[in-house]
Amino acid sequence: MEKFSFKDVLILFAGTIITIGIAWVLLTVTGFVPREIGKLFFEGAVVGQRNILNTLNIATPYILTSIATVVSFRVGMFNIGINGSMYIGGLYAAWAGYKFTSLGHIPHVSLCIAIAVITGSLWMLLPALLKVYAGVSEIISTIILNFVAVLFVSYMANGPFRADPIAPATPRILETAELKQYFPNSQFNSGFFIAVIIAFLTYFILKKTTFGYELRSGGDGLVGFYPSRYSSYLGIPSDRSAITGMLISGGLGGLAGGIEILGNARYFYQELLFNQGFDGILIAIVGKLEPIGGLIASLFWSALRNGGLFVDYKTEVSREIVVILLSILIFFVSAQKLVSSLERFKFVRKLDAFFTRKIK
Amino acid sequence: MTQNNIETAVEVKNITKSYPGVTANDSVDFKVLKGEIHALVGENGAGKSTLVKILYGIEQPDSGEIFINDKPVEINKVDKAIELGIGMVHQEFHLVPSFTAAENIGLGQEPRNSRGFIDWDELNSEVSNIAKKYGLDVDPKLRMIDASVGIQQRTEILKTLYRNANILILDEPTAVLTPQETDELFEVIRSLVDEGKTVIFITHKLREVMEISDRVTVMRDGKVQGVSNTKDTSPEELAKLMVGREVFMQVEKEEAKPTEKVLEVKNLWVHDSRGLLAVKNLSLDVHKGEIVGIAGVDGNGQTELVEALSGLRPTSKGEVIFDGKNIESISPRKRRRAGLAHVPEDRANTGLNLKLDIWENLVGTSYFRSPLSKGGIISMKNVVDHSNNLREKFDIRTPGVFVRTGSLSGGNQQKVVIARELSEDPLLTIASQPTRGVDIGNIEAIHKQLVEIRDSGKAVLLVSAELDEVMSVADRVAVIYEGEIVEWVNPKDVDQQQMGLYMAGIKD
Repeated sequence: MEKFSFKDVLILFAGTIITIGIAWVLLTVTGFVPREIGKLFFEGAVVGQRNILNTLNIATPYILTSIATVVSFRVGMFNIGINGSMYIGGLYAAWAGYKFTSLGHIPHVSLCIAIAVITGSLWMLLPALLKVYAGVSEIISTIILNFVAVLFVSYMANGPFRADPIAPATPRILETAELKQYFPNSQFNSGFFIAVIIAFLTYFILKKTTFGYELRSGGDGLVGFYPSRYSSYLGIPSDRSAITGMLISGGLGGLAGGIEILGNARYFYQELLFNQGFDGILIAIVGKLEPIGGLIASLFWSALRNGGLFVDYKTEVSREIVVILLSILIFFVSAQKLVSSLERFKFVRKLDAFFTRKIK
Repeated sequence: MTQNNIETAVEVKNITKSYPGVTANDSVDFKVLKGEIHALVGENGAGKSTLVKILYGIEQPDSGEIFINDKPVEINKVDKAIELGIGMVHQEFHLVPSFTAAENIGLGQEPRNSRGFIDWDELNSEVSNIAKKYGLDVDPKLRMIDASVGIQQRTEILKTLYRNANILILDEPTAVLTPQETDELFEVIRSLVDEGKTVIFITHKLREVMEISDRVTVMRDGKVQGVSNTKDTSPEELAKLMVGREVFMQVEKEEAKPTEKVLEVKNLWVHDSRGLLAVKNLSLDVHKGEIVGIAGVDGNGQTELVEALSGLRPTSKGEVIFDGKNIESISPRKRRRAGLAHVPEDRANTGLNLKLDIWENLVGTSYFRSPLSKGGIISMKNVVDHSNNLREKFDIRTPGVFVRTGSLSGGNQQKVVIARELSEDPLLTIASQPTRGVDIGNIEAIHKQLVEIRDSGKAVLLVSAELDEVMSVADRVAVIYEGEIVEWVNPKDVDQQQMGLYMAGIKD
C-alpha cells in the first residue's frame, strides 16, 4: 500500500462522479427522478441532527473493525476473523451486562467492555498460535472461526444464556451496563467516542512507540509474507509481534461487538447479524491501512449507508442500489494501478509534490 | 568492429524520462553502430537501466525519438522490441527452473508438428544448432535447476537468438560469473559480433569495458557524459566521467596491525534451508585491527556461514567464540549488543523493510534506547536528528528521512544499512556483499569506511563474490569452495588467475 497522496483524492473524486453517473442511469431506467433521489440521499447522510447522529452511530463499529484490520495487516497477518470476534465480544458483553447486579454505572460498563475486549481477543489466540508455531494460514483459520463463532453464540443464546421462553435471547442488560444514549431521536451513544479515542490511540501506538515499531517492523507491507527476515535479522521478536497484533485485532473486534450490544441492542439474541467485521477490511484498505484513514473512511462509508437507508425509507428505491454503488466506488478507490497511471500527467505530479511538502 | 561500416543499429535522440522527483534520462542521445560491442557504463541511478528499458519497451519515454536500423520506431511494448530484433538478457534471469534449456528457450514460440502439438525434437535440434553456431555450449535437455549460473546465462542469450535478435542488450552480465566464466562469455560475445550481431553491454567494471568493447558511452545523473572509442580512452578517464571526479581504483590503506582475537570459529557445520550441508568443518579467526576477506563464487556456503555467525541460522556443530564468549546459541539482538554488526547480502528483504520510511530503518538497532525513546515512547525529535546525522555522515541522498526506503536507489539503500550498522560502533562488522548493485562512487566510500573501522582498532569480516573487492580491501583472504576453505592467501602475493583456480576448488 502506497502512501496517501493527492492522486488518491483525484481517483476518489473521479470515482464518485462515475458512480453518480451510473446511479443516474440505474435510477432513470427503474423509473425514478435521479435529482430528487440524490437530494434525499444527501439529506439522509449529513443533513439535520438526527441524520448526522445516526451516521455517526453507524460508523462506530466500522471504525473499530477497520482499525482491527489495520493492526492485523500491519503485523503481516490477514485477519478475516474480526466478525467472529465481534460476535463473541457482543455475547459476553451482554452476559456481563445482566450477570453483575450490584455495580455502579462506570464500573459495570467498564467491566462489560473489558470482557468484550478480552473474549474477542482470546478468540484470535488460536489462529495466531497456529500461524506462528504450525504455519497454518491465518486466512483459512480465521474464516473457519467465523462460522464457529456464529454457531457458538447462537447455541449460547439458545441454551445457557437464554432467558426468554419464547425467543432465543439473553436477558436485557441492566441499566448500569448501558452506554449512554444522549438524544431521544437517535441511538447515538458514548460508544462513538470510545471508537474515536481508539483510532487516535492506535495511531499513537503504531507511530510513536517502540512497541508499535516492533509490531510494524515485522509485517508492514508484508501481508502473506510474514514473517519478514528484517525483524528476525534485527532481533525483533516477530513471532511475539504477530501474536500480539492478532490479539489486539481480535480485541478491537470484540469491542465493536460489545459497543453494539451495550449502546444499541441492549441484549443479545440469536438472529443478531453482524457484518461490520467484513466491511471493516474494505474500509481499512480505502483508508490506506492507517488508523486515522480508517476513521475517516468509516465516517464516509457510514454517511453513504445512512443516506441509502434514508432513501430506502422515504421512497420505493431498493436499498440494494446503494450497495451496488458503494461497491463501484470501492472498486475505484482500491484500483492502485489506476492511481499510479495518473503519474503520467504532469499536473498530477506537481500537485502531488506540492501536497507531500505541505504534509511534512 | 568493421571500420568501413557506418550503419547505425540503434539511435536514440533527445530521450527524456522522469519519475516523480528524479529525471532518470535527461535529453539522452545514444548511438550504437551495427556490428559493434558498445559498453554502456555509469553508476547505479545514472540512467543506464532506464535507457535500455525504454529500448526494450518496458518503459515509455516522456519525449524523444528512437531509430532502429535508421528507421523511426515507437517501442510501446516488449513484443514490439522483440519484433524489431532487440533481445535483452536481464541481470536477474527469467527462467523456469523446472524446465529444460530448450523448453525455456522455446517458451511461447514452440514449433508445432502437423497435429498441432509441440515438436520437441524440432525445438531441441534448433536450439543445439543455434548454440553450435555461436559457440554457446548448452545442452538443450539440461534442466535449469541443475544448471550453473554461466549456463543459465547462455540459455538467456539463446532465448534472444531463438527470437532472431540482432541487437542484444546484456545487463551487467558478469556480475554473477567467475573469472573463467567471464572469459567464456567474452568469447561468446565476440562470436556473436562475428556473425553480424550488435551487442550493448552494460557494466560498471571498467576492466571489462577495456577488454571487450569497441566503443563506450558513459552516463551520469541521467545525462550522457561522453562517448569514445575504447582504444582512445583509459579506465581512469572513464571512472572520472562516471563519478564526476577522480577516483582511486585501489583502496588506499596502510599495513594492518592486528591485535587480539575477536572472533574464533571452530569446526563449524551449518545446513542450508533444504537441509543440505552448506558449511563443512570450517574454522577461521578474525583479529581486531584487520579485515579478513572471504572470496568465492556465490553459493559456496558464504550465505549460510554469515547467517550462522549473525544468529539468523542455527549451527549444527562447532563453536563460535566472540569476544571471549560462546555465542552460537544466543539471539541476534544479544549478539548485536555484544558488538557484532551485520550488513546482510540481501538488503531488500533482510537488511531493510522497504515499506518503512528511511528513519524507521535507520533506528532499527537503536530505537529502544535513550535518547531515541524514553519509557517506550519514541522521541521524534531525537530520532529525526539522529537520522539526519547519519544521513549526512554517510551521504545518503534523499529528499528527507520521511521518504519510503524502497524509493531510494540501490546504492543509497545500502548506505542506509551501513549507516545503521556502523552507528553502533561495533567490535566486529560482518559485511556480506556490501557493494552489490552499488555504483563506483559509493563503492569507494564503503571501502573507505571498512578500512576506517579497521584503523580504529575494530575488526571486519568481508564476504564478497567480487574478487577485485576482496583482494583490494582485505588484509587476509580465505577462499571458500563448497563450504570449505580451500586456501588462505595474502592478497598481495597472488594473481587473479590463481584466485580463479582456487575459487573453482582447484588447489595446485
